[in-house]
Amino acid sequence: MIRQLEVDGVPTLLAPAAGPVRAGLVFRVGVADETLARRGVTHLLEHLALAPLGLLDHDANGMTEALFSSFVVRGGPEEVVAFLNTVCGNLCEPPTDRIDVEREILGVEESGRPRGSLGRLPLWRHGARDHGLVSYPEYGLPGITGDDVREWAASRFTRGNAVLFLTGDEVPRGLRLPLPEGERRPVPTPSSALPHTPAYFSDGAGLVALDAVVARRAAAVVYAGVLERELFRALRQEEGLSYQVATGYQPLGDATASLRAFADSSPDRQDALLGGFVDTLATLRVGRIARADRDVAVARRLEALAHPEADADRLPQCARDLLTGAPVRDLDELRAELAAVTVDDLREVAREAAASALLLVPAGLRADWAGFSAAPTFSEDSVEGKAHQGRDDHSQLIVGDDGVTVADGEAVATVRYADCAALLVWPDGARRLIGHDGIVVHVEPNLFEPVPDLAVVDQAVAADRHVTLPARPDDAIPPPPPEVGRLSRMVRSVRETGNTVTAWLSATLLDPGR
Amino acid sequence: MPLPPPLNRDPEAAYPEVAALRVALRDHDWPALRALFADADAATASHLADVAGEWGGVESFLQLRLRADPECQLARTLLGAALVRAGWRIRTGATADRVSSDRFSRFHDHLRRAEQILIDVTAQWPDDVTAWTQRISTARGLELGQAEARRRYQRLARHRPHHLPAQLALLQQLCPKWGGDWSAVDTFARSCTEAAPPGAPQAVLVAQGHLERIVEYGDLRGIGDHLRSPDVAEEIHAAADRSVRHPDFTHTVGWVSVRSTFALVFHLMAEHRAAREQFDALGPYGTPSVFRYLGDPVARLGQARTEAYAKGGDR
Repeated sequence: MIRQLEVDGVPTLLAPAAGPVRAGLVFRVGVADETLARRGVTHLLEHLALAPLGLLDHDANGMTEALFSSFVVRGGPEEVVAFLNTVCGNLCEPPTDRIDVEREILGVEESGRPRGSLGRLPLWRHGARDHGLVSYPEYGLPGITGDDVREWAASRFTRGNAVLFLTGDEVPRGLRLPLPEGERRPVPTPSSALPHTPAYFSDGAGLVALDAVVARRAAAVVYAGVLERELFRALRQEEGLSYQVATGYQPLGDATASLRAFADSSPDRQDALLGGFVDTLATLRVGRIARADRDVAVARRLEALAHPEADADRLPQCARDLLTGAPVRDLDELRAELAAVTVDDLREVAREAAASALLLVPAGLRADWAGFSAAPTFSEDSVEGKAHQGRDDHSQLIVGDDGVTVADGEAVATVRYADCAALLVWPDGARRLIGHDGIVVHVEPNLFEPVPDLAVVDQAVAADRHVTLPARPDDAIPPPPPEVGRLSRMVRSVRETGNTVTAWLSATLLDPGR
Repeated sequence: MPLPPPLNRDPEAAYPEVAALRVALRDHDWPALRALFADADAATASHLADVAGEWGGVESFLQLRLRADPECQLARTLLGAALVRAGWRIRTGATADRVSSDRFSRFHDHLRRAEQILIDVTAQWPDDVTAWTQRISTARGLELGQAEARRRYQRLARHRPHHLPAQLALLQQLCPKWGGDWSAVDTFARSCTEAAPPGAPQAVLVAQGHLERIVEYGDLRGIGDHLRSPDVAEEIHAAADRSVRHPDFTHTVGWVSVRSTFALVFHLMAEHRAAREQFDALGPYGTPSVFRYLGDPVARLGQARTEAYAKGGDR
């Protein structure tokens, strides 16, 4: 049984559990609330809030996700009280003198994160905004000031935008949550960079993944289990193609949930991996779902709920539900919902998942043959303005009053200033505009004739979208005359390729180890 | 000089099933068509699907049927087959560099439409070997990859281990012209032959595999030399012994092209007696398309028959 109380005006969830207290203070703010040019401010603040704690003799950590930031601790009641008190204090008055140190640490953390095609799924679905931002590097870090951090803390890390969860029978004596007043922040509406679904994009090697959006419900949770069984059976047991197969399910905070699946193979058999993956999705979409698979998937979920500390285990998710306006349900309700899921319900989820699917396929392969439209890699139109010929003789740069276009034959990339999520600025004169739709225009001025005056671009893009980057090594700056073909490669890499995978795997996969 | 019996110009003339199919298609007689497929074994059904796919106007007949019953397995499979046939007709058999980009784009469009129908059919009925056979052809035309074509064949073989139409389709994929190599061709042909019981037609894959080398040599002398080389000749005779010369070889649907292939190979080897044996067994029947590599198929088939009867001696 989960009890709902209040501590200092912060909604609080309490569930019994043996052993040390597990507690977490969760805020409804995350990467999806940032802008590309200020990407990283939440993560930086999370680090600042924990940094002065130094070496702790109990487990404590912070997490920055797409929609939530949390501070979690495990220890005796006094330790929990002290930890939360310190965190709240640091959020009220962030220790901004540590910004430079934490910036360095985050740079290291970023380079240590898993990179890869899976982490780029969000940007292909949403673009360089809201739910797509998790795919991007923390571009904001170099330019974020103490004022930026204080403003972010005061507006987002507030009493009204927090939920506390605790294990145990009572709130530890003396627990205070001295946070500034503020309002609950609505979940950002997910943008779409996909004109049509089902869609696909090609990236990476030896991996196929599905990202679908379905209505949040028990049947979708069960479907994730059924899909995993079917993928495991088809791709691993029968075809011997995959070593790892997994699915995940995660609520998106707005009555929908993200349904994900992936499977791997050796690169020389990745064409068969794609074919087998497509056929498995089709099997479920046409309704071939065995009652026995439904039963096993339901039983596995029920098993998790049968654990004596099931309520305590659910607290982090319940806190997130409460922050997004979803009710906290009791175990009996959840069990009843699971038991009521029929095979027909699963068929409906399968169709919903198929219709909203975004498929990641290995580079060099396509999925149009299976009915998936190619996600846009180029812009529909160009801007009008002053034309500059590429020194490679086939590309063209147009700097206009409302945007910039680089074109190379059919490949057209346009970013309009009004839709520019970030303007990357190098001291040597190079500029990169990243549009809200994820399209990138990279301009090496030396590669065009006449050499373009990009001051007009700097002025046209709002200052809060500028990202000033350190000087590049000389050999990274293309000299005039250019290397042949260099420009066209740049034009083709129109989608941003860097990423920080905010734990796409660990956050969403139910059984990654299987 | 002995003369061969007059050649029946209809390559399907040996099969009463095909005659019945044509009547059903002509009369738009769905119940008769359905009954034909229900009674047919897998090899016959796959053959009939190819014939139906070639039938003029079959698409609109099938669309009508699907309007009445959108879930109909047979109509969907046949529509897939018709789109595949139409696609390959647009592409023509020319080498890729001689096919215009517009033709390629319409070819791919047809195959994608076929594929999306057949994905659903095989998802719903994973044992529909005719639909899987078509999907081996779509995989090749859409260039989905060697491993994917093999996967499709394996999915089919799980339900029907010795399905010659699918084996012939995969053999094409394994050829160098479609991204494979000769060693894959030979390995596949031999393993299918060994796995099938004596008297089964599978050994024709060995002959076909060697015949495909004609594209490497480019002329009849070259392919003739290849086929006459001792190891190859021995393998081809062993293949004939295991299939068309085996007492258990039966004349089920597809037998005419199996014998025609051996007849062609023996013709190219200048083994007139062996060729004559096959033409004798074929009687008035023959599959001209087997001779397409040599030029005008009907004319070349006719020449091969005449030569075998002239030089192959009396039986």
